[in-house]
Amino acid sequence: MSRVFAFLFSLILALMLQVVELPDAVAAVRPVWPLLVVGYWALYAPQMPSLLAAWLLGLCCDVLFNATLGQHALALVIVAAILGRLRGFYVVFPLWQSALALAPVWALYTFLVFWIDGIAHHAAEPALRWLPVLGTTLVWPVFAAVFNGLRAQHKRDLSRLRLP
Amino acid sequence: MLPRRPAHGGHLRFDPFRPLNTTLSDPSHKPLFPRGPGLGLKFAFFALLSLGLLIADGRSSGMTPLRQWTAWTLTPVLWLAGLPQMVASGVQHLRSRESLLAENRELRNTQLAQEAKLLRLASLEAENQRIRELLASSSALSDRVLIAEILSTSQDPYRHQIVLNKGARDGVYRGQALVDASGVMGQVVQVNPTTCIALLITDPDHGIPVEINRTGLQTIALGRGDGQGLSLPYLPGNADVKVGDLLVSSGLGGRFPAGYPVGEVYELRHPGGESFMEAIAYPRAKLHQGRQALLVWSERAAQATGDPPPPEVPIDLRPKKAPATSVTKPKTPTKP
Repeated sequence: MSRVFAFLFSLILALMLQVVELPDAVAAVRPVWPLLVVGYWALYAPQMPSLLAAWLLGLCCDVLFNATLGQHALALVIVAAILGRLRGFYVVFPLWQSALALAPVWALYTFLVFWIDGIAHHAAEPALRWLPVLGTTLVWPVFAAVFNGLRAQHKRDLSRLRLP
Repeated sequence: MLPRRPAHGGHLRFDPFRPLNTTLSDPSHKPLFPRGPGLGLKFAFFALLSLGLLIADGRSSGMTPLRQWTAWTLTPVLWLAGLPQMVASGVQHLRSRESLLAENRELRNTQLAQEAKLLRLASLEAENQRIRELLASSSALSDRVLIAEILSTSQDPYRHQIVLNKGARDGVYRGQALVDASGVMGQVVQVNPTTCIALLITDPDHGIPVEINRTGLQTIALGRGDGQGLSLPYLPGNADVKVGDLLVSSGLGGRFPAGYPVGEVYELRHPGGESFMEAIAYPRAKLHQGRQALLVWSERAAQATGDPPPPEVPIDLRPKKAPATSVTKPKTPTKP
């Protein structure tokens, strides 16, 4: 039950962090929070409905950014599916290596969004496009470590309660 | 609450009522006999759903209700995301007496200076009104406005949009112009029940018809997409444009009310081998600083939506006897 709550809470938190205001200098490197959260649950908790979450979160992103409906949804669903499939490959790495190995996946997400924007004739500065990949890669180890720590702590608390 | 799975590290017992696949103690293992559709099938379902949405949204406006309802559901998220900003501005309100006094003095001085200007404006406005009546022009100087609060700005560096707290319930319409105290900010592109999304003039998708205030040269200012600049492409090579020229909205196209400042030219570029000149301008409006913006009802849109026409319309009919005075201006359509 609490795991479901944590799941939903992390999704809403990701949306919030994505729209919260940052100084202009940092905003360009802002990590893609929905991507981080969907990636985390797809890798570390495959029993969660990460594809459904990815789709809903993507739809919310589309509405928040006033993009073509389905743009972020499609990109997030593809990333969630790839990570779900390659789980065994990614979870054996230590965190910093997995951060490097995941960078191509984040780049794929950015490329998909970029590509659909191109089809919809939305002009954009190409250099600024790729900066969020850097931010996401840098934040991933910290993000995964904090979430893993929180979940491990929770699990320990539960087992202590059950012991007698 | 009964634990559904054995605790981590607990010994496993044989339990005939428990399904076999849950006896793996680590919950992050894949179940041995998965139930429900597999990953590939689910992926295909969601990918097709997204593709369908993409195509439907690109082709028609049938998806507007879905967008509006999702936006309405997401209003609390926007509100939460705006909290830090609100707290920061709340802290700013707690100021020392000295700074308040200084600000008060400054404001009084500004008001005095502006009142002096306004005194002249009243007589100028009356004169302008008389001259316009002579020219049979129906464009009024005063516009109806509504103050809206900026809920959030788009944090994509390549999408310059802001969300405002006024929506369809306040009579906001798509294409409505948005200004602030110092110039034109942009226009409304998406109207939701209680919020609306506006595209700023610096967005690469945005263009606004402008005229150069000094010479009256008509052109179009496009957003450059770097968040700061406007570009005036395809000016004739010998056009009379100088650095520091003020650009005002020309009202061509009827979307923006005429006469609002848009930007100021700060650079002229002559690309080698081309017969056109490009001017770069900074927007006058403080696009990333304020918390409030003004939504302007332009007169033509009000007429299009069926509001009663303004009272000075009958004056249009008079000068028909004297066609010599009917100066053909592009922004005043001649009425039958």
